[in-house]
Amino acid sequence: MTTSPVMPMDSVEGAAGLAYPPLSPAARRRRIGGVVARDLAALRRSPIRVFEIVFWPVIELVVWGYVTLFLQAQKVPFIVSALLGAVLLWQVLHRASNEVAIGFLEDIWSRNLLNVQVTPVTPAEYMTGLVLFSLTKIAAGITIMALLAYALYGFGLLTIGIGLVPFMAVLMVMGWSLAIVAISCVLRFGEGAQVIAWSLVFVFQPLAGVFYPVSVLPEALRAISAFVPATHVFEGMRAVLNGGAIPWDRLGAAAVLDVAYVALALWLYGLTLRHARTKGRLSRFGE
Amino acid sequence: MILEAVSLVKRFGDVRAVDGISLTVGQGEIAGLLGPNGAGKSTTLHMLLGLVTPDSGEVRMFGLDLAKNRTEVLSQVNFSASYLGLPGVLHVREVLNAFARLYGLRHPRKRVEEVIDLLEIGPLARRKVVELSSGQHTRVQLAKALINEPRLLILDEPTAALDPDAGDRIRAMLVRIARESGTALLITSHNMREVERMCERIHFVSAGRIVATGTAAELASDFGVDDLEEVFLKVAREGAVPA
Repeated sequence: MTTSPVMPMDSVEGAAGLAYPPLSPAARRRRIGGVVARDLAALRRSPIRVFEIVFWPVIELVVWGYVTLFLQAQKVPFIVSALLGAVLLWQVLHRASNEVAIGFLEDIWSRNLLNVQVTPVTPAEYMTGLVLFSLTKIAAGITIMALLAYALYGFGLLTIGIGLVPFMAVLMVMGWSLAIVAISCVLRFGEGAQVIAWSLVFVFQPLAGVFYPVSVLPEALRAISAFVPATHVFEGMRAVLNGGAIPWDRLGAAAVLDVAYVALALWLYGLTLRHARTKGRLSRFGE
Repeated sequence: MILEAVSLVKRFGDVRAVDGISLTVGQGEIAGLLGPNGAGKSTTLHMLLGLVTPDSGEVRMFGLDLAKNRTEVLSQVNFSASYLGLPGVLHVREVLNAFARLYGLRHPRKRVEEVIDLLEIGPLARRKVVELSSGQHTRVQLAKALINEPRLLILDEPTAALDPDAGDRIRAMLVRIARESGTALLITSHNMREVERMCERIHFVSAGRIVATGTAAELASDFGVDDLEEVFLKVAREGAVPA
């Protein structure tokens, strides 16, 4: 075996020249890029993962698409676009939540979590990497669904107009915050809690009025739904598709709620990570 | 001093897993941490790596407090353990490339090729991790552990899955790295010959405490036995401490 290049030992920054100073923006970008590069490589190497990006969204679109065709025959044309729009935007929330959580779970499944935890990657950098990678998969999934919705049912997602951008942004941020909560639950309760990663987002489906206006909910649930960012998106989407203006006030409220959700999720993640280190639970993910 | 652990204590419920362990490792030194299963070795290593927070005590590396300077410290440390995995679907080169980035290296691809040469794993570079034998996996783990040219390398049973030839070559390489680049090594192993050959200082751990420290010869002499294996048996079976 050959000899490793000798590193200077007189610097607190270690192998000077080999690495960027650990706290520099370049080092942070490089570490976040490391998380993204790893997940991109895993996606490239796994046809199953690529298949999954397309499979569930397409199944949902086909089922709901034919439901809407049936409703169209009943002479309720607005319902068609509202339901198809809801299916597409629901996927944004659903994928954003699942993809980030899966990125973390894959480190557990491959017993790689401790390897990552002993790198200089900070929790914020790790989460940023997972979030950036999830964007790739969300973009791919939504593009395919939108093309299919147009081809099969003549529904153009872009008919939502410029509001589509903030609608999707609000849903993605909410999805990411739910993923961080799910990850926190796994850190706190162990691998058995990973079911939360798949199911947490569905707790919000009835509350957010994805497929129906929240006005049909009982008053108590309606009050709660006002504190769900996605509620304002789906209500706004129906308003726009019904010929109304983009409800910027509701989007503003949703953005504020998103900030609160992310802040709470990150606080919870920090708390559970500290707890996992204190109780020795983090070590057990390597067993 | 590269590593300085002072009075580390860790309890899990009623169990005192680590009970006041203090140790130091200097530049270029190869130190061993020995003891029976459940003695507290892995918990100690995990405290040194920031995976477990001590109830009391302090870990300092390169003059910095680990608890307050986690990113700076961990950028100069690395770790390999026989019980850890790597992302199975990735090619070996992709795994190393990802870790090179996680350590913030300026030229990750160049360094990846260097460690591939160093560990002689070129033929494995385009193979998926899941396809590797346990011995090959160990070599890739070690390549990962050297990716950032660490100033402190912590190895939990580094050669457990290697055949005698591969194990010997890896040991020789690790000793050479310590000598030539001044990397400090802290190793746990149940291979007493390995520890005798590599380690300049050995800490014997029993029931969460360091019960003896010295060279292999000093420890054998202190315990009144012939070699390190007999020291181990005395500590593990009789809870013996040196005379």
